[in-house]
Amino acid sequence: MRRILIIAIPIVAFLAVAPNRLNGYYLNLLYITVLYVGLAYGWNIISGYAGYFSFGQIAFFGIGAYATGLIVVNLQWHWILAALAGGLIACALSVPMGYVMLRLRGPFFAMGMFGLAQTSRVVITAIPATGGGSGLFLPPGSDLRSIYYWTLAVTLGAIALTMWIDRSAFGLRLQALREDEQVAGTLGIDVTLEKIYAFALSALIPGLLGGGYIWFLTYIEPDAAFSPRLDLQSVVMAILGGVGTVWGPLVGGVLMTQIAEALWARFPQIYLMIFGGLLVALLIVLPRGIVPALTSRIRRSV
Amino acid sequence: MSEPILSVTNVRVAFGGVQALAGVSLEIREGEILSLIGPNGAGKTTLFNVISGVLRPQHGDVRFLGRSIIGRPPHEIARLGIGRTYQIVRPFGSLSVVDNVAVGGLIHARSIAAARAAAREIVEFVGLGPFADRIAATLTLTQRKRLEVARALALRPRLLLLDEVMAGLTPSEMDTMADFVVRLGERGIGTVCGIEHVMRLVMRISHRIVVLDAGRCIAEGDPKAIQSDPRVIEAYLGAPLIETI
Repeated sequence: MRRILIIAIPIVAFLAVAPNRLNGYYLNLLYITVLYVGLAYGWNIISGYAGYFSFGQIAFFGIGAYATGLIVVNLQWHWILAALAGGLIACALSVPMGYVMLRLRGPFFAMGMFGLAQTSRVVITAIPATGGGSGLFLPPGSDLRSIYYWTLAVTLGAIALTMWIDRSAFGLRLQALREDEQVAGTLGIDVTLEKIYAFALSALIPGLLGGGYIWFLTYIEPDAAFSPRLDLQSVVMAILGGVGTVWGPLVGGVLMTQIAEALWARFPQIYLMIFGGLLVALLIVLPRGIVPALTSRIRRSV
Repeated sequence: MSEPILSVTNVRVAFGGVQALAGVSLEIREGEILSLIGPNGAGKTTLFNVISGVLRPQHGDVRFLGRSIIGRPPHEIARLGIGRTYQIVRPFGSLSVVDNVAVGGLIHARSIAAARAAAREIVEFVGLGPFADRIAATLTLTQRKRLEVARALALRPRLLLLDEVMAGLTPSEMDTMADFVVRLGERGIGTVCGIEHVMRLVMRISHRIVVLDAGRCIAEGDPKAIQSDPRVIEAYLGAPLIETI
């Protein structure tokens, strides 16, 4: 714990003062990095710890985004309060959704969640108040610095939450049901309930992040709020870092956003090709992700 | 020794056209070691699945400590005091041995530290002490069998259901396991129902034996009576009942 603090305090201090030092481009990059890391942490709870691979947590990002936008436009709340409410709304909606979806397993759950995200997008677009496909313009309400701080706070919260889960009885229950749901049940674990808790936490985090993202765009439209790209990239980052580990989403998220950015800057036409190839190569060399590969190497050398 | 802790009444389970259990009734009494024997496909594991809530029967009732437990989810039945192991060992592969066992202890422990401390003691008791911090996937079959039992023990069950804990063990390991089952009373687990094929040990440690065949109870009694029961001999197709393993 002390070692973690020694590393974490300077990093957090740097992240806290960064907006004063960095110009627009770098602050932008920092924001995107922190956003992706946060999304990867959100996904890691239900998919990493509980083992339910989801390709649709972006549903809650979108719901949080739209809820925040609608609250600000219609009720004139301060955007931070609205974003908080947006996250809570996404979390609340995830409970009945999870109750239904978590009956599916494996690839069926993964595809079902992808479908749920698309369905959420369609439903939200159909509501007249959201402006449909053309989206919703937001009144001026925030700047990049505040959005960055909001996102940083949520992401740090997600990391702290994951650190707690990793050591808690709740985390042990999730890992047990991930390994074998039936056995976990006969060992006294209410698997339905624990899965819904995990799912709700995995909805709260993107929900809160979505409420900040809309100010980054200054408007909301369905394709941005329910972006499959944000979803898939954050999933890939968590996988690359190490599924179901405390530090995997951080390592994978930071590394991949930086590599993607550097490649994009140098090889704008073919960066996706290089990036994809790199990803495939990394996952062949490190199938379980970077963090598990490092920790098992350290353990072996001790 | 006489009060039934669990009573199964006329339980029927069909998988499509196959009658896995065709009206099974039996009682498990407080403080006894009851062995459930019978040829493959007799419905023994299906009965365990019904008792532990994994499978819901189409007909019949199961009462534990006087209350019907049909339709209750497995975790509630576990919390009421029924622990079980699985015939095909199913460790939580990526967790340590201690954590595997601590999972079962979470229903009693106030904290994860307390659950782990209790788990460590159980791991010691089943003889897995040196492997406590190993990842469960690295254990041998014998060790996994012990881990199955250890996990169920962590629930501190009133009734323990053991599904072929001897299968796959060497003869001397089987003897150790049999002694271990007898010693469970020391841990306050007085009532054990075991599915077993190794007759030598069944006859040695059981207080009572129930024989299932084709989804029905065909005989019930103490080891002596069962060995000479013609229906039992017939169910085993005339093969010598006492295996020589």
